[in-house]
Amino acid sequence: MSKPTDLVQGTLNLLILKIVALEPMHGWAIAQRIKQMSSEVLQVGQSALYPALHKLEQQGWIEAEWKASETNRRAKYYSLTRSGRKALNQEAASWERLSTAISAIVRSA
Amino acid sequence: MRRWITQLRLILRSLFRRKQVDLELDEEFQYHLGREIDEGLNRGLTPEAARYAARRAMGALAKNREECRDMSHLTLVEDLFRDFQYATRSLRRNPGFAALAVLIAALGIGANTAVFGVVDAVILKPLSYRDADRIVTLSTLWKKTGADQPSVSVPDYHDWHDRNTSFEAMAYFQAGDTAVIAGPTAEFAADATVTNEFFKVFGVQPVAGRGFSEEESKSGSGAAAMISYSFWQSHYGEEMSALGKTLQLGGRALRIVGVLPPGFHFPAKTDIWFPANTIFRESTIRAAHNVQVIGKLKPGVALERAQSEMTAIGDRLERQFPQSNGSKNVRLRRLRDDMVKDVRLMLYLLLGAVGLVLLVACGNVANLLLAKASTRGREIALRAAMGAGRARIVRQLFTESMLLALVAGATGVVFALAGSRALVLLAPANVPRLENTGVDGPALGFAFAASVLACLVFGLVPAIRTTRVEVNTAIKHGAAQNAGASKSRLRGALVAAEIALSVVLLVGAGLLMRSFAALHDVALGFKPQHVLLMETSVTAHMTAQQAMPVYKRLIEEIGSMPGVIAAGATRTPPGAVRSNGPYWVDEAPMPQQINVNRPQAIFSFAGPGIFAALGVPVQSGREFDASDNFEAPPRAIVNQALVKRAFAGQDPIGHTIAVATDSLKPMTIVGVVGDVRQLGPASEPAPEVYMPYEQHPTLSTFLTIAARTTSDPGQMTGALRRKAREIAPDVPVKITTFEDRLSQNVAAPRFRTLLLAIFATIAVALAMAGVYGVVSFMVNQRTPEIGLRIALGAGSRGVLKMVLLQGVRLVIAGLAVGLAGAFAASRLLGTMLFGVKPTDPLTYGAVAGLMALVALAASYIPARRAARVDPLVALRHE
Repeated sequence: MSKPTDLVQGTLNLLILKIVALEPMHGWAIAQRIKQMSSEVLQVGQSALYPALHKLEQQGWIEAEWKASETNRRAKYYSLTRSGRKALNQEAASWERLSTAISAIVRSA
Repeated sequence: MRRWITQLRLILRSLFRRKQVDLELDEEFQYHLGREIDEGLNRGLTPEAARYAARRAMGALAKNREECRDMSHLTLVEDLFRDFQYATRSLRRNPGFAALAVLIAALGIGANTAVFGVVDAVILKPLSYRDADRIVTLSTLWKKTGADQPSVSVPDYHDWHDRNTSFEAMAYFQAGDTAVIAGPTAEFAADATVTNEFFKVFGVQPVAGRGFSEEESKSGSGAAAMISYSFWQSHYGEEMSALGKTLQLGGRALRIVGVLPPGFHFPAKTDIWFPANTIFRESTIRAAHNVQVIGKLKPGVALERAQSEMTAIGDRLERQFPQSNGSKNVRLRRLRDDMVKDVRLMLYLLLGAVGLVLLVACGNVANLLLAKASTRGREIALRAAMGAGRARIVRQLFTESMLLALVAGATGVVFALAGSRALVLLAPANVPRLENTGVDGPALGFAFAASVLACLVFGLVPAIRTTRVEVNTAIKHGAAQNAGASKSRLRGALVAAEIALSVVLLVGAGLLMRSFAALHDVALGFKPQHVLLMETSVTAHMTAQQAMPVYKRLIEEIGSMPGVIAAGATRTPPGAVRSNGPYWVDEAPMPQQINVNRPQAIFSFAGPGIFAALGVPVQSGREFDASDNFEAPPRAIVNQALVKRAFAGQDPIGHTIAVATDSLKPMTIVGVVGDVRQLGPASEPAPEVYMPYEQHPTLSTFLTIAARTTSDPGQMTGALRRKAREIAPDVPVKITTFEDRLSQNVAAPRFRTLLLAIFATIAVALAMAGVYGVVSFMVNQRTPEIGLRIALGAGSRGVLKMVLLQGVRLVIAGLAVGLAGAFAASRLLGTMLFGVKPTDPLTYGAVAGLMALVALAASYIPARRAARVDPLVALRHE
């Protein structure tokens, strides 16, 4: 499953996986968390978030479950699967490599 | 693994529970929107402002939702349904087009499926014996030529059997067609003498009774037989009382001890098996090759390993017996490969040829689709303008092609049912396992694969082509004009490719036809017209000595029948060599001198009148007469090829010749006769020695009586049969005309020539339809221009020439590629060619001329239409 994804899409996937790795969460909360974690730098439009979530679900990296939320309404909670954890480790590592490489280039220039 | 299951579950959910998935998607969005609004209210916004802000933050909800549906494969599933509906409707709107396209593709798919059915039945399907892949044949290999022959000498077999460690069972067998009395009358039955491990090789057990006991297998005993299930049914009504009954064979009474399972008839169509070296003594001469050997490898032993062990044994025999085994060894082959080795090349050739037909058919359908697409340019441009992506449009067009291909595949299967029956009827009788041919699972799979492949070929090109439409120009100009020059170039290329493929097929068919004609024109050395052949066998309950007077009387009586000019008997009519070996001139050889590397001759046993009956000229000396009987000194007649070889053209009459058959005694040569192509028209005449059958009674228990008639020999069949029954009621006969028999000899060349000619004809017809289509298309497109030309004074001749040139250009391109292709491919015909080289210029020239002529004819119709364009109408049209 090593389809080349473009940078932004890949990054969003990485963020989503990282976030749901902590605890199961619904879409809105994930959006909020991304905003907080990236100190408002990365504004994730919902138009990109939901397709990404559904794609990850189709790939079997996250799985969904309907549960009552903190506002007592039914919400779709996403959590990481075993293969999702593997994917997260891989993506994180490759991100690490990429960003190190880019930093090195930027600094030396 | 678990991930795959999850993914599959989700896709299936999207497929079958679309509503549910859609509802959940809505709920998820509603929840998000709700939380967004709450957030806004918390920040102190008014409810309206909060709702507005939330909606904006969520972006274009509709697009978002579509994307999610894409991700869940929902749209894919829906589109597929819609595309299929759309495709069905679109095809229904053009029933003529759809029917034509389906018919053309179905023709190609059907023909391919039928031929594949034969290939599968004959070559691919495993044999129905237990552990069939461990069964191998062992044949005699001549190291000097690299050729092998199925017949093996008995002493060689015994050494192979006793010294090897690779085989769990090995046996020899010798098949015959012998007179048997099992019912009220004598009949011919296929029988085989087998050694005791024979049934172990095939892993078969008798379904009734038992196998041969040790006592029954001992040399010289011989009183037991096993019969096939079908023989049990037809002669004994499947009664157990058949066991213990006797049947007459070889002058002996054999007791039936067992019945083999249904369907077991190895070798060929055998009905009766009896132990080797019992009724008929086995040969002890290493240079006499007259049995066939079969074995079963031990489990886990590779064929290569067994081969190298057997080669080592062969090497030792070569050193031990240089006279008989010099440069002789053994070759192993899997039984299945051995059975089909003569037809494999031919069948694959036919499969390849029919594959080319499918490609031509695909080219035609692609052309039809392109033509149709050009009238749809506007529709597609409109769809593009409405926001359909290019991939989406390609997919939709592709669905249409797939639908066409699948319908064509189903129709093709119907064609294949008829086609495979026709193939089985047309095929030469010696193709093994042909009876299994049918349209079964593998053939259906093949038909489906062929359909998908066809769809890829004829669907992809127009689909991609069509979407390269400039939206603006297409909508502005409408249908007719948007089909630009590049599209008609593509159609031209397709037709040129069709022509090229047809040329390859035509050249192949032409070469085979010339070979077939050459085979017919060969001087065979005898005159088969007006000759009846009557096969007889006296071995049911007579010994050889008793049989001779019977034959003598039969030949005399038949020779004096009204309507018969001449009659004679021979052990082997031309085309059926049974015996050959070394010969010695003016020398009395000792048995140890028998050497396989000496010059060889064909041995024939014949009686008075045979040369006149067959139409073989006696060139010097005399033919056999009544004086050449058992008591007379041994005599022989030789053919010209032998005179040339052994006597350097001198007169051989009065010299002696000795051969290795039942005796090594020198025989006096009393005559010379013309050469006969004994091994069929494709092989040169070989040296041959004829001996009087009365002097070799043990080899003459089955003879063929040839009768030359004054009129149609077919009408004499009944009279001949009655005469034979009257004289020798216990002698079974089989009667054919010589010409029928010879036509079986050329059945294989006739079959492949006929099929290739049919395939080539179909391909040419399709290609010409393509030429016609493209040229008419061009004429339609250029009607205004042609009208203008005419209005400006161009003569109708000039217009005619201009359009015809279009057709000619296609043909020249196709011919150039096709002739080059044929030049490369005709080499594959190899041994199937006779009397003609694969590069035969006459064939190539004829094909090129024929193709050019037909293409001109195909372009002529639209060209005439162009020449008659009314300039007024054409210009107003604009």
